[in-house]
Amino acid sequence: MSGIPEPDEFRAEARTWLAGVARPRATGGEWGSGSDSVAVFENWTEEQEREHTARVQEWERTRYDQGWSALNWPQEYGGRSLPAYYEQLYRGEEAAFDVPHRPEIFPVTQALVAPAIGLWGTEEQKSRWLVPMLRTDELACQLFSETEAGSDLAAVRTRAVREGDDAWVLTGHKVWTSGARVATWGVAVCHTDPDVRKHAGITVFLVRMDAPGVTVRPIRQMTGGTSFNEVYLDGVRVPDTDRLGPVGEGWRVTLSVLAAERLDSGSLGLDNADRALDLAGNLSRPLTGGEQQRAADLHLRTLVQRLMGLRVTAALVAGREPGAEASVGKLYATETMRRTSDLVSELLGPSLVADTGEWGTYAWTEHLLGAPGYSIAGGTDEIQRTILAERVLGLPKEPVR
Amino acid sequence: MHRRHPEIDPQLLSETDEQRQLRTVLRDLYAEASGIEEVRKHLATPRGYDEALWARLAGEIGVHGLAIPEEYGGSGFTFAELAVALEESGRALYCAPLLPTVVLAAHALLLSGDRTACERYLPRIADGTLTATVAGFGPDGRSGGSREPAVTAEQGSNGWVLCGRADFVLDGAGAELVLVRAGTPAGPRIFACEPAPGTCLRTPRRVLDETRRQALVEFRGAPATAVGTAEQAEGAVSATLDTGRAALAAEQVGGSGHALGATVAFVAQRHQFGRPIGSFQAVKHRLADVLVALEAARSGSAYATACAAIASPQLPVAACAAAVVCSETFRMATAEYVQLHGGIGFTWEHPAHLYVRRARGAEVLFGTADQHRTRLAGLVGLAPRPAA
Ligand SMILES: Cc1cc2nc3c(=O)[nH]c(=O)nc-3n(C[C@H](O)[C@H](O)[C@H](O)COP(=O)(O)OP(=O)(O)OC[C@H]3O[C@@H](n4cnc5c(N)ncnc54)[C@H](O)[C@@H]3O)c2cc1C
Repeated sequence: MSGIPEPDEFRAEARTWLAGVARPRATGGEWGSGSDSVAVFENWTEEQEREHTARVQEWERTRYDQGWSALNWPQEYGGRSLPAYYEQLYRGEEAAFDVPHRPEIFPVTQALVAPAIGLWGTEEQKSRWLVPMLRTDELACQLFSETEAGSDLAAVRTRAVREGDDAWVLTGHKVWTSGARVATWGVAVCHTDPDVRKHAGITVFLVRMDAPGVTVRPIRQMTGGTSFNEVYLDGVRVPDTDRLGPVGEGWRVTLSVLAAERLDSGSLGLDNADRALDLAGNLSRPLTGGEQQRAADLHLRTLVQRLMGLRVTAALVAGREPGAEASVGKLYATETMRRTSDLVSELLGPSLVADTGEWGTYAWTEHLLGAPGYSIAGGTDEIQRTILAERVLGLPKEPVR
Repeated sequence: MHRRHPEIDPQLLSETDEQRQLRTVLRDLYAEASGIEEVRKHLATPRGYDEALWARLAGEIGVHGLAIPEEYGGSGFTFAELAVALEESGRALYCAPLLPTVVLAAHALLLSGDRTACERYLPRIADGTLTATVAGFGPDGRSGGSREPAVTAEQGSNGWVLCGRADFVLDGAGAELVLVRAGTPAGPRIFACEPAPGTCLRTPRRVLDETRRQALVEFRGAPATAVGTAEQAEGAVSATLDTGRAALAAEQVGGSGHALGATVAFVAQRHQFGRPIGSFQAVKHRLADVLVALEAARSGSAYATACAAIASPQLPVAACAAAVVCSETFRMATAEYVQLHGGIGFTWEHPAHLYVRRARGAEVLFGTADQHRTRLAGLVGLAPRPAA
């Protein structure tokens, strides 16, 4: 095949490149120093969020400009047209280096919104949006959920009304919007036709987050911090050229974003599971038999989760759409997160729940409290099971309500 | 460094066109020649399986020789092709001794590096004219995990003779060749023994899973020939068992796939309360969980298979992981197979219990889940360290 490096060759190249631009991460010997954060959702102030986002953007630009990002995109968008799993190969190498941790807004922009634009965008939109998003000069959040439309997303009430031939006016209230404080664009799922059945009247727009009428208010989460927000859209004017996909076809656009989200969630929880295993290996006392069993179980779970990811991406290469199967990966991942909490609780006992100041102990409460979020975000565990049962196993739908 | 990342070319985790064709051929053949009624019928025969089908599989399709090199009469494919055959066999609950013959015995011979023994036996394994098994390879459940062989070999005037007993020997009462791990003054070695009634007493055990026969084999001065060297023996035994775990994992995936498929088909057509029971969320979500488990099992099995096929140093880790996930999945899939069929699923007539039996038999065949996890912990540095 032309120009596709062997995986081993690619990994070695990635290592060499990484060694030139980043410091290696502290390894086992240095356990106990450096950051001990295992936050699933960051507990940042707005200022910290902006600062950290800027650091990640800088790293993402380096990656993009030197040809180590957007790997599966064609050259015109700065990529190398590599099979999708090369991204995972790259990540495997990057894990050994001290690079800033990407909060959700980054995968949302690069792995959810950009592919949807690639699929649904006009040529003009692609040339205007794709490079800035892949390079993370622009960041996009998902303006999907509303108070009355969560699992039943098609019930959104935010309205988009035409204003002349070339613009729309958006009015509504979105909730649980991750990353809205730092996003420059929001992908808004709106109703444009109240007269048709709910799925048929939906249209998707990209909204400038600094447009007049957009108000972002942080919502405090059970972790104590804030990574999601509510977003008010009060008569926000959006040019028709920022509409993504045809009028009334927004449900399909939305589904392609959600499918990408599930696909992207297959690797959730792996970093922290690795950390929990490091904790088990570095404990100052011997593991009990039960702890050893639990740790070995988590170890093989991370192995299997990575293998599932490789199989899904290998299927993508073979030209098969993983589609609904990706729900498998998300369900597996949320279980990994729960088991990580359980192992850590066993290993740390009281020093997990009362802060002794010791490195790498109380910090785990951020995992413990953050993990449940991913069984809700991006479609709840129950909704994923229904998707698998109906769309993969082909079981009959619920009788119409 | 990245010891938690699978070390494998991802392409090896997906099926080649050739493997897909083999799968189709075998699935059709099993459907036509080895339906569940045929399986039940053959279980009641003295040898316990369909010998004509055994010959067809070896001859027409070449299943037995898939992973045997051409120089020993095989077709020189890899373990990956054999795994496809095993998955389909597991799906159909094919009840012939493929696992002991084609996987355990054949790989023990290959891994022993003993060319003479390979030349002597492998061509007959490949063409389906020899059934074989291994004995004393795993820790015997009763010896508390001790690696001290329960069979010993002594050099007599006419060569080696074996004394001692090995339990839970797969197809132990029927196999024409038994490869035995036996103690010698130089340490454990592998021996080839063609059991004869006078010197080898073979007592079939009553078994939970009748599709996989087991026996107690007592060696009473049974003549045997040494296979390979003493230095290589323990490595070959361990690698044979890991190959067996990879093979069993493929079978378990096939069996789980059957259980899920049959249950989905049933709940889609069975009506209660005026609607298909498969439209109830309580039913749907349980089957979705089986699907997740099955995908995990497929992934674990694919990795173990790929590692066995390329003789990767990761095979021990991959085999432990596959043994745990595939056993768990098969147990869960067969439990739902019964539960979601209701009363009919609890009958003798229904095939579900044959799969339950297979699942419960398989999950303890090459070690229990706890044993696999303990070994894995040792391999990846999670072993309990002695207190300082
Ligand atoms: C951390 C976090 C980040 C998020 N980020 C974003 C974001 O960036 N953008 C965005 O638009 N949204 C975001 N969300 C919102 C998320 O998508 C919704 O919370 C989710 O889809 C569930 O909707 P809901 O909260 O209205 O709960 P509901 O839909 O009311 O669900 C409540 C419970 O009922 C169950 N349930 C509902 N319907 C069914 C059914 N048919 N069958 C069985 N059980 C059912 C659910 O599984 C859940 O357990 C985020 C949420 C979280 C927690």
